[in-house]
Parts: sequence; C-alpha cells; structure tokens
Amino acid sequence: MKVLAAGVVPLLLVLHWKHGAGSPLPITPVNATCATRHPCHSNLMHQIRNQLAQLNGSANALFILYYTAQGEPFPNNLDKLCGPNVTDFPPFHANGTEKTRLVELYRIIAYLGASLGNITRDQKVLNPNALSLHSKLNATADIMRGLLSNVLCRLCNKYHVAHVDVAYGPDTSGKDVFQKKKLGCQLLGKYKQVIAVVAQAF
Amino acid sequence: MMNFSLRLRRPSWMVDSKRMGMTTDFQWLLLTCILLYLMNQVNSQKRGAPRDLKCITNNLQVWDCSWKAPSGAGHGTVYEVCIENRSHSCYQSEKTNTQIPALLPGDHEITINRLYDFGNLISKFTLNEKNVSLIPDTPEILNLSADFSTSTLHLKWNDRGSVFPYHLNVIWEIKILRKENMEIVKLVTHNTTVNGKDTVHHWSWTSDMPLECATHSVGIRCYVDDPHFSGHTEWSDWSPLKNVSWSPDSQTKVFPQDKVILVGSDITFCCVTQEKVLSAQIGQTNCPLIHLDGENVAIKIHNISVSANSGTNVVFTTEDNIFGTVIFAGYPPDIPQKLNCETCDLKEIVCTWNPGRPTALVGPRNTSYTLFESFSGKYVRFKRVEAPTNESYQLFFQMRPNQEIYNFTLNARNPLGRSESTILVNITEKVYPRIPTSIRVKDINSTAVTLSWHLPGNFGKIKLLCQIEINTTNSVQELRNVTIKGVENSSYLVAVDKLNPYTIYTFRIRCSTETFWKWSKWSNEKKYLTTEAIPSKGPDTWREWSSDGKNLIIYWKPLPINEANGKILSYNVSCSLDEETQSLSEIPDPQHKAELQLDKNDYIISVVAKNSVGSSPPSKIASMEIPNDDLKVEQAVGMGNGILLTWNYDPNMTCDYVIKWCNSSRSEPCLMDWKKVPSNSTEAVIESDQFRPGVRYNFFLYGCRNQGYQLLRSIIGYIEELAPIVAPNFTVEDTSADSILVKWEDIPVEELRGFLRGYLFYFEKGERDTSKIRGLESGRSDIKVKNITDLSQKTLRIADLQGKTSYHLVLRAYTDGGMGPEKSMFVVTKENSVGLIIAILIPVAVAVIVGVVTSILCYRKREWIKETFYPDIPNPENCKALQFQKSVCEGNSPLKTLEMNPCTPNNVEVLETRSTVPKIEDTEIMSPVAERPEESSDAEPENHVVVSYCPPVIEEETPTPGADEAGGTSQVVYIDIQSMYQPQAKPEEDQDNDPVGGAGYKPQMHLPVPAAVGDLAAEDDLDKTAGYRPQANVNTWSLVSPDSPRSTDSNSETVSFGSPCSINSRQFLIPPKDEDSPKSNGGGWSFTNFFQNKPND
Repeated sequence: MKVLAAGVVPLLLVLHWKHGAGSPLPITPVNATCATRHPCHSNLMHQIRNQLAQLNGSANALFILYYTAQGEPFPNNLDKLCGPNVTDFPPFHANGTEKTRLVELYRIIAYLGASLGNITRDQKVLNPNALSLHSKLNATADIMRGLLSNVLCRLCNKYHVAHVDVAYGPDTSGKDVFQKKKLGCQLLGKYKQVIAVVAQAF
Repeated sequence: MMNFSLRLRRPSWMVDSKRMGMTTDFQWLLLTCILLYLMNQVNSQKRGAPRDLKCITNNLQVWDCSWKAPSGAGHGTVYEVCIENRSHSCYQSEKTNTQIPALLPGDHEITINRLYDFGNLISKFTLNEKNVSLIPDTPEILNLSADFSTSTLHLKWNDRGSVFPYHLNVIWEIKILRKENMEIVKLVTHNTTVNGKDTVHHWSWTSDMPLECATHSVGIRCYVDDPHFSGHTEWSDWSPLKNVSWSPDSQTKVFPQDKVILVGSDITFCCVTQEKVLSAQIGQTNCPLIHLDGENVAIKIHNISVSANSGTNVVFTTEDNIFGTVIFAGYPPDIPQKLNCETCDLKEIVCTWNPGRPTALVGPRNTSYTLFESFSGKYVRFKRVEAPTNESYQLFFQMRPNQEIYNFTLNARNPLGRSESTILVNITEKVYPRIPTSIRVKDINSTAVTLSWHLPGNFGKIKLLCQIEINTTNSVQELRNVTIKGVENSSYLVAVDKLNPYTIYTFRIRCSTETFWKWSKWSNEKKYLTTEAIPSKGPDTWREWSSDGKNLIIYWKPLPINEANGKILSYNVSCSLDEETQSLSEIPDPQHKAELQLDKNDYIISVVAKNSVGSSPPSKIASMEIPNDDLKVEQAVGMGNGILLTWNYDPNMTCDYVIKWCNSSRSEPCLMDWKKVPSNSTEAVIESDQFRPGVRYNFFLYGCRNQGYQLLRSIIGYIEELAPIVAPNFTVEDTSADSILVKWEDIPVEELRGFLRGYLFYFEKGERDTSKIRGLESGRSDIKVKNITDLSQKTLRIADLQGKTSYHLVLRAYTDGGMGPEKSMFVVTKENSVGLIIAILIPVAVAVIVGVVTSILCYRKREWIKETFYPDIPNPENCKALQFQKSVCEGNSPLKTLEMNPCTPNNVEVLETRSTVPKIEDTEIMSPVAERPEESSDAEPENHVVVSYCPPVIEEETPTPGADEAGGTSQVVYIDIQSMYQPQAKPEEDQDNDPVGGAGYKPQMHLPVPAAVGDLAAEDDLDKTAGYRPQANVNTWSLVSPDSPRSTDSNSETVSFGSPCSINSRQFLIPPKDEDSPKSNGGGWSFTNFFQNKPND
C-alpha cells in the first residue's frame, strides 16, 4: 500500500493538477453516476471542519517559515513581496449554501494543493537544507489531500457531485528563482488569509 | 608629385623650425612664399596638364593612383598614364584615376598625358612605393550575437585575406559602445594573420553589465602590418556599427537572473522597467542607483559575499512593487581530498573522497563529480542525493576483466569552475573484504573442529589472510591467523585444533588479503561446544574425622570444567589398606563428600570422578594424620580480601601443602574450604568469597608426606579486623570513700571482631542526669583515662576519689579495627566517717582547749580581772555607820546589821561628752580610785554627771532610815559609754520582766518612756524586785529619778542613769536638788552589767 501511495497517488495528482488543465469543467449533472473509491466516513463535515481548523492553525507558521527561509528582504517587505496578490485564486462565498461552499472549497484546496506542490518542489531545490520547511509543506499538502478527498466524498454522497472543474495557479518551473520565491510567498500569504475565512465559514 | 612632396615636407620643417624660435619661422615662411610664387609662375606655363598624382593601395597588389585634372578639362578627356622606365606600359583612363600594378621598390617615372583635340599636355611624376599609402578596406561585421545569459557578445567578421598576396599580420580594433549616447565601454585590439584566404574571425566579450540592461553597439577596423611595404600604412575605416539590444516586454525584470558568481567579485544588476525605481538593495543593504536609458537603472556590487542556500536577493523597489533577482555567490569546487579507491570483492571499485572546502552552492548549482579511468576510458558520475546532510562522497566503478592497475581521475565541476584529483592503484592490493557470513562449525574430535564461512568476491587469483578469534568464557581471547587460497564466491574451510573438550567456544572471523590492506569487519559470533573427554585429573580431596573420631568424612571439590572434560556423573570412593583395595560407594555428582566408618588403621582413600566418556585418575589421601607435637597457635591478619600465610621450606614434604580454614565459631569438624599448594611453595594467599571482615577464622597448614598429612601450623586470624561490636560488661565490685573497684568480663569472640588490644576506662565526676562523657577522644582535662593493655587484667581499682561523690564510669574495648562501643555507669563513693569525726572532734577540742586556756588565764588573772571588771564593793557591814548590834542578829554571823558608822559615800562621776556617737577609742575605763577628783570639778557641768553610787547590799527587810549617814569611803568614777552599747539597752518593760536578774548592783538605766502610766506600773514592779531600791516613797523622790517624765522632757537624748543605792547611801546618791543634777545621756549599756551578777554567782 505504501508503494501504491508513494508512486501512484502522486502520479495521479500530477496528472490531475497539471498546469492549464483547460477550461473549467461543469459540475457533474445530478443524474450522473457518482461513486467514490472508498466508503465515505459518516461524519464527514466534522472531519472537514477539523482539517480546516488544522490548516488554519498551521498556516501562519508555514508562512513565517517560508518567508524566513527566502532570506532578506522578504521578512521586511511582506506587503510588497508576500502580499496576497493572487489574481486567479478561486473565489469563496461564505454565505452560500453548503453545496456551493463545498464546491468552492474543493476548487480552493485543489488550487492550493497544486501550488503547494510547486512550492515544495522549488524549495527542495532552492533550500535543500530547510528540512523544517519541507516537513511543514509536506504536512500541509497531506492534510489538503485528505480534505480534498473528504470534500469530494461529501459532494458525491450528499449532492451527487462527482466532478468539479478546477483551475490551478501558474507553474513556476520556468520562472527565475526570485519569481519562484515571490510567487510562493504570495500564495502562502493568500492561503493564510483564505483558510481563515474558509475555516470560519464551516 | 614633387610638389606633393614639398607640401608634405615643409610642414614638418615648419614643425622643426618652430623649435628654433619665432624669428627663424618667419624667415622660412617668407622663403616659402617666394618659392611658391616662383613655382606658380613655372606651372602656369603648363596650365592644362594633370597634377598632384597620388597613389594608395588596399591589397599591396594594385595601386590606385589619382591626380587632379586641369581646370579646363571637361567630359571626354582621356588620360594616358605611362610608366616610363618599365616596359613602357601605358594605361588610358577617362577618369582622373587609374589602377596600376604595384611597382617595385624604387623610383618610377610616370607620365600622364592629357589627350585632347588640340594637342597633348604631358605631366611627368616620379613615383616611389614610399609615396604609396596602404589603407585596408573597411571590414564588415558578418554577425553580432548576444548571449544574454552570460552577458557575452559574439562578433564574427571576414578578414578578406584573399586580397593580400602573401602572409600578413592584421590588427583589428573593436569598440563596444553602450546606451543610446554611445559611451565607449570597451576598445580592444585583436591580432590575426591573413594567409591569402578569406577567413571568418570570432571574438567574444563578456560585459560586466547584463546585456539586457542597455543597447550595446560594436564597430571594427583593421590595420595591415606588412614589414616589406615601405609606404605609409593606415587604419581602415570603422565598420558600420552593429547593435544588440534586448526586447523588453511589458513586465519589469531584473538582470542577471539566477547567476552564480565567485565570492568577492564585482557584479552589476539592472532593472529594466517602465516604472520609476525608488531604491535598490542587496539583502538588507541599500545601493546607489545608476541610471541607464529610460527608467532603467543599475547597481554595482563590489566584493560580493557568500550567499545563503537560497541565494542573495537583489531587489528594486518601485512605488507599488518590488522586483528582484537572486544571485548565488559561492566558490569553485575544491580539489577532492583523500581520494581513495579500494574494492570489497574484486568486482567493483569504491572510490571515496572528501570534497574539501564547501562551495556554498546547493541544489542544481552544487558540485558534480565524474570519476574517469584513463586506461579503460570509462567513467562514472556522482549522483547526488536530494538531502546532502552527512553525505558520503563515493563512486562505484565496475572492474574490468584482467585489469589490475587503474588510473582514476576525479573531476569536480560547478558553475564557478572545476578541479580534479587523481589516483593510481593496483586494486589487488586494495582489498577490503566484506564480512564473512554463514559461519559453521563441525566436530573433528573433542579438541578439534572445522570452521567454514562464506566470503563473496572474486578472490581466485589472490590469497586470503583470515583471523579466527577463539573465546571461551573462562580463558583469554586467542587469535589464530590462517592463509587460504582465494576462490570465486565460495566458502572457506579451516581446521581449528588445540581446543579443550567439553568447552563452549565462541568463534568469529575476519579476513584480508595476503598483501594486507584492511581487515574486514568481524563476522557474527558462533558458539560451539566441543565433545567430552575423560576427566584429566582426579578431584581435589580432603578428609576430616568426625567429632567422635569414629567416622572419616571425605571431601572433594568438583572438577573445574577444563579438567572435568565433560559432565561429571558420579564419584567413586574406595579405600585400600596394605594394597587391598575396597570400593566403598559411588556418589552421584551433586554430592561432594562421603562418610566412611573406618578404624584407626591408616587407610588410603581414593576418589575418582566419572563422566560419560570415562573415569579420572584417582585422588588419594591417607586417613590418618601424622602427629606433630610442636604446634603453636599463631595470629595473623589479612589484607582485606585474603590472608597471606608463609612457612619455611621443608624438603620432607613431598606432596602438596594443604591449607584448611574454617570459621572459629563453628563446631568440630570445622571445615570451610581447603587449598592445595605445590610442595615447593613457601607461601600462599588464601582468598575466598566466603571471607568476611571481623570474623575469626582458623587456618591450618598441613604438610604432605606419602599421602599422609601433618599439621604444621595453626593460625587464627582475621581477613580484616573491625572494631568490637559490643562494650565490655563491667560491674562495680567495691566502693569506698576514695576508690571504686571495677570488674569486667570478656567480650565474646564473635562480637570482638578482631584481636583485643586493650580497654579504655574513662571516669569523671558527674550525676546520672547531668553528666555525660562526650568526646572521649578529645582529651578533655576533666576526664581521666586509663588504658588497660594487659588483657589478663579484669579488674581496676580507681583510687584518689572523693567521698560521697557521683562518678561517671565508661569502659570500652578496642582492637586494631577501632574502638568498640562504650558502656557507662554512675557510682557514688561512700561517705568519709573518719573525716567527719575529725571534723567534729577538732572544733570541739579547740573549743575545749580555748576554754581551758581561757579558764587558766582567767584564773591566773582573776585578781586583775576582778579589780578591773568587778572591784570589790565596800561591804556595808564594814561600814560602821551601818554596824548593827550583834545582839540583834546574833547567830547569823554573815549577816551583820547596819552599823551607823560614818559612811563615806561612793561617788560615781559620769563624764559625758556632748557627742551623740562617741567612739570606742575614746572610751576610757578609769580606775575606781578617784585619781582626779579635782578635774571633775573643772569639767563642764554638762559633760559629766556625777551620780551617787552605793555598792549593792543584801536586801534587808527592815531598812533603817539612819543608814543614810553611814557609808563607805570608796568612790567610783564612771565614764559614760552608753552610746557604745545602746542597742542592748532594754526598755523598761524588759527590766521589769527580769527583776530577779537585776539583783545586786546594776545600773539604773532608764530609757525614756513617754507613757506616765507605764512609769507608774514600773514603779510598782520595782517594789517587788530584790536588790536595791529607793528607800523612800518614789512619789516623794520624783525629782531625783532621771526616769521621771520630766527628765525625758528636759533632754531626750541625754538619759541619766538612775542610781539604785542602798538605803543607807540613798541620801548621798541623789542630790537633794533635782535642778542641779546632771541629766543622763540616755539608755546606754554599761560594761559593768556584764560582771554585775558575778559575785552572786
């Protein structure tokens, strides 16, 4: 199972999160077949709330750890270098219905998951010795994967939504190091801001 | 041409003439003008002929000559140029120039003939190569490209070498201009050669500023250096500029991006932007801006410092945003150190190294290594793991068949440079075998086994050196080296002998090659138990007779594992007498003694140990002991863990000595253990885990002769002496007033815990509740100590004590191990009766002696005393005035009637001083004889009182009034000493209470009594008393008595004595006039009172 998790799951995620996945896909029609690979937990919303709280609790520490590892002048110019200026970030409406909120949460977590993957990859090359940062990034990505699965389960079970169209952030692989640092910092700043709102909404 | 020459030369002269001064210049100028004028006049005659011939060349093969046409020459004019001194070749041209082949060095006459309709105008010129200029053609840049990542310009041009007839050196000059204002940032020369062929040349230049920052332009010109050409050589014209510029998009960008540079170098960063840049900084340090074209800016960093892993951030701040780049400053790779290559199995070579100084570059910029083997041409690359922590730098190289010598080169490379290290190895000498595995052991016999193991590797061509470590639980470690011929990936087998039977061995193996390089790591341990063999020796035996002497108890010790050679199953005990052997019993193993009922014959007892393989040789011992009369008991003390016994060498002792020991407190037969030592030994250290300090042991040394033992020495001893655990029990046997006899008992051996060395006895005065001897060893002075070292002494008498005193006694025993506890007792000495008696008798005796002496003295001085203190009072009987008739009282001879003889009254004169407190020294007892009657009259009236005084008389029942005239002639003078004994003065009541005591003479002292009633009562009492009393009614005598109230009124401090007087002398004692009588000085006590009653006594 570990081999499967270590090899297949990242592959699926990479395929699933590849950059520019195309135009947004429509939500699965109500009458479409919705099946999950594993049975969903009975108390999904509780788990989702816990995972959101977990992410919200660690977002600031991850943000600090990240911009500290990038060196000066990042820590002293957070507003310009790490401001949450992510234009294509999926929206979230806290006052929507649960289904809407879950769909939006799914898009947000998918977006964040892909971006975190980019950041983790970049930082492993750029800061190979920043093990605590790597650990935190991996832990956050793990929680996001679980959260994504739970949200999908909830959407499928309760609202018969089997697929949600998602959009991803820019791929940083071709960008220069400073752009990678800056985009990562902006993304984590946005993540810290958004996850607080989302956790509050659920 | 001459003119041309002149024109060319004169300025140079002029230049020279300037050096001579202004005057000379002027002269030359004037001369030149004159000559020009003359020349013009000459030429005017030739007006219309070509002039000013001038030739240049760009390829040294063809000269391009030109001249000036005459002013009148128009279109259609044809010139014929002829070279005269050659083969008269002529060239016609409609232009004012023509190309002629290059002429040989030297002067050549050139004629230019202007051909026109009206005739010919010929001009002649002398042409020399020296007058020809070599000016190459303007070079043309074929290509100018830019590598923006490295900020490098690549220039490409054609040298057009084919135009030159032979090999030439060409100098190229390249200029690089930057920005729109064409600042020259670089001007370099580049030397090439031309060899008759067109060649494209390349030149590259790396800019210190990123090429993206500004437009860069490049121009080039050349200079042909021909040493054979004697003419004038000039630079070509500059080629047209070629530009390189970066096409900025709309986004602001900072350059260079992600560049890796050497620590300490200088670098320029620029920001290509449309916005206004406010500031720039590297890390936290602000940098001054250098403005480029437009809004572009740059900063220059000098001596950049090493970067962190994530690089050094360089940022440019605009109003709304921050743009930046990351620079990685690090070092080129250090030379790989300690490069070492070895093999474990002769299949694969492992090369390890130390990277040396860190480069500060990580990730994709980290150093990459390549291991290259020159003989085979093979190489391997170092694949870096992602997390470089504790990274081991090693590379594996597959060995080549039949190749033993390898020449490795390790190349290290990073973006900043490269380095390398080499090593040449004979790999068969660098074998570091792997760990031997699959260790197996098989029996050969009880003392030998075979040992096999597996060792991977192609060792078929070499020999292996292996080391076998043999361990047993009891013996020391043993290493055995074996050399084995190597095989291909196989197991190896060796025989290991000289082992002990029935012994657990632990084997482990490591290997190397015969040409030793390194030992492999030790293999896992393999335990193995060898097979059994017959016991090598009989058990160590001893025998003891039982306490009743009827049974012989045979003891033996279990055989050690190295002698038992297997598991001992049983012991056979047999005895023999006169070569007749009798097997007695077979004792199973756990039991190690046997009791035999034997008579007193000297039997030889044999004990044999048996295991599954066989029986041991017998151990024999004689049942009887060889007597020894000369035996003394000695003492010995051990060394803490054992005890050393020594003895003299005895050649008679043929077999072993035996030392037996036991706890002395145990009953017979006493045996804890025994030890055999060789017969040639003279000492033995007895050690046992059972030994305990403070326990007394008996040691017996036996010598052995013919299997019979003789007791040589008996020793009592301690392994270590300790202090006694109890105090000696002592009692007080006897107590007297000055001594105490103390008796104590011995301390039991078990509680003594050492050899008793003596007792310490402490004593001091003290009660049970208050005294406690503290700090016995501190040497307190009030504690007396007696050290009793005579151990036979069991009593102690403490003398010189005080009677009826409590003493605190303390007794403690000591050994060499220390002081034992103390036992104390309180004893009170008896009272000293003789002293008491003496104490009583001595004062009594002294008192008696004093009394006797006093009596004797008084007796001897009685006359003086009497005269002094108790003078005779005139007997009234002697007074004729009071002489009674004998008839009246006849028969009563002592009683004589008062005779009315003329009586001389006794006068008592009291001298009184006015001082209230007279001193004793002033007191003077005067003789009764009135020595100075005259002086009394001279004395002041208030200083003395004259009292009439009469000696006491026997109370008579019938006083006779006529006796007043009779009286003795004695006269007493008293000095008042009332103040001296005033406290003894009694009030009047006391006197009244002792009327009888007042018989005889006594001073009639009266203290002032205020109450008149009391006085009256006193008067009544006085009537009842014996002795003298007033012979008249006191009421009629009131004025005479000093104790009358009036007397107290007159002067309370001066109380006069009353003077009882005989009736006969009454009239004389009391003067008739009270007013004139001196007043008494108060109630004093007269010394005469002391002797007042004496006569009556």
